[in-house]
Amino acid sequence: MAELSVLVVTFRDIFQSEAQEAGRYGEEYRKASALILLDRGDADRAGIKDGSAVTVASDAGSVVVNAGVDQESHPGVAFMPNSPWSNQLVSGQVGPSKIPEFKRIEARLSSASGPVLKIEELLLGIVQG
Amino acid sequence: MAVCTGCSLLCDDIEVTLESGRIARTKNLCRKGLGRFRSLYSERASPRADGSEVDVGDAISRAAEILSGAKRPLLFGWSNSTLEAQQAGIALARKLGGVIDDTSSFCQGPLMELVIRGQMPTGTLDDVRNFGDTLIYWGSDPTSSHPRHMSRFSYFPRGEKLQKGFEEDRTAFAVDVRESPTAKIVADGYFQIPPGGDAEFIEAILSVLDGKMPKVQDKKRMISFVTTLKKAKMGFIFPGLGLVYSLKDRLDLFSQLVARLNEGVPFRVIPMVGHYNMRGFNQTLFEQTGGINQVSFADGEARRGQENGIISALDSCDAALVVGSDPVSSLPAAFARKLAKIPVVVMDPHRNLTADLARVVIPTALSGLEAGGAALRMDGVRVELAPVVEGASPSDAEVLARIREVV
Ligand code: SF4
Repeated sequence: MAELSVLVVTFRDIFQSEAQEAGRYGEEYRKASALILLDRGDADRAGIKDGSAVTVASDAGSVVVNAGVDQESHPGVAFMPNSPWSNQLVSGQVGPSKIPEFKRIEARLSSASGPVLKIEELLLGIVQG
Repeated sequence: MAVCTGCSLLCDDIEVTLESGRIARTKNLCRKGLGRFRSLYSERASPRADGSEVDVGDAISRAAEILSGAKRPLLFGWSNSTLEAQQAGIALARKLGGVIDDTSSFCQGPLMELVIRGQMPTGTLDDVRNFGDTLIYWGSDPTSSHPRHMSRFSYFPRGEKLQKGFEEDRTAFAVDVRESPTAKIVADGYFQIPPGGDAEFIEAILSVLDGKMPKVQDKKRMISFVTTLKKAKMGFIFPGLGLVYSLKDRLDLFSQLVARLNEGVPFRVIPMVGHYNMRGFNQTLFEQTGGINQVSFADGEARRGQENGIISALDSCDAALVVGSDPVSSLPAAFARKLAKIPVVVMDPHRNLTADLARVVIPTALSGLEAGGAALRMDGVRVELAPVVEGASPSDAEVLARIREVV
């Protein structure tokens, strides 16, 4: 696939919230969270298929998630459910408001560098990092 | 009737049928609420200290040891606790000379502060149901975050002055970067803005209010939108994190807009608080200290300051008590890493990432289901919670009182 630059905006999704209540460690929560929703044109241009794994990288870090292709058009913008996966990409630098940039993350997509990590594996990365 | 603590709507019409002390059936819950009720029986926390299973009493003693041994303990969470637990938490922070902060610090705090200080006109959800004829969901998506907001209060119901509900009496708009499920419901009322485009959108409305041409592509649509706002009998804006995160230090622009609208017609603001009792914590701490969050009690005096917000405090605090929250999941990884480096005590009904790396875990009752108390709905209305089933764990308030006795 070709590299693709997007602005990532995180959001909250009801199915993901429900899955989180049911079990943060469950497969359902991982499926609903480790996700990036792309504009169809962007996905076609970069050669990304619906459901394929991609690496999303920002200046703060990178994470492998599954790509989804949206019905609605939003070129240049990608949406990720707010979760420990999206939080790998949010910068540790904050401005005067001290609120991290959860909803404006400049990121690059490339072929998946590995599998989508389980939540326990993300935690291990945090503890060891 | 039981109360759902799945979000800050605190729906109080939940019917529960018990069978042998367990919840067998419920009525009126949304998906999210159902998830909360089901969580009673999944991934519950168990007491732990220094890597070993212990009993709750020992976990409490070890927690007290860690907290009293710290120079600057951070007491964080609170949005998923009852008012009683929040009071006990503030009392504990005072006794420890520690720092207390809640999730609002990196969420709806800046806006909630204006509401609590009386600097932003607000109203109740019952006012919305009865009188709210013009509604703006701004950077919020209640269909996903507060699933019964539109059906119980804001869009669909008939109200005292609005007998025809959404079909004729209510006009709703959504301003968002994403065509969310809520945006789809309001259909023609959806304005798509680019990420970070909220300030420009406000400026466009202000231009029209000033009788100037707005600097947007579709001028006609913007003018017709503002004309509708100006005709409101009672307007409500429901700002979500989309708006707060986008404006950040420019929240005064939003205040300016609300003030301008109020010169003509009443327009009220109800922030879309997520957790069920975030508002309760903000209000309680404000009444006691004059600050809604980010307060330090070092040297016996309450001081408010950004250095006491979790984002900055992680650089200076040497231990943390986390209550009903999972900052390791919800903070950017860079900050979660800082939390992983200090001793952490977690009080939570469930296992979560913060609990997994904590030195001490104290399981607590799930409030509203296993423990009673009270909470403030997103609009500030007090709702009483009563336990529905008997649980095995003590309430947050009980655990906090026991820690306070021994520190
Ligand atoms: S809308 Fe909120 S309070 Fe009401 S049932 Fe759903 S989760 Fe519970």
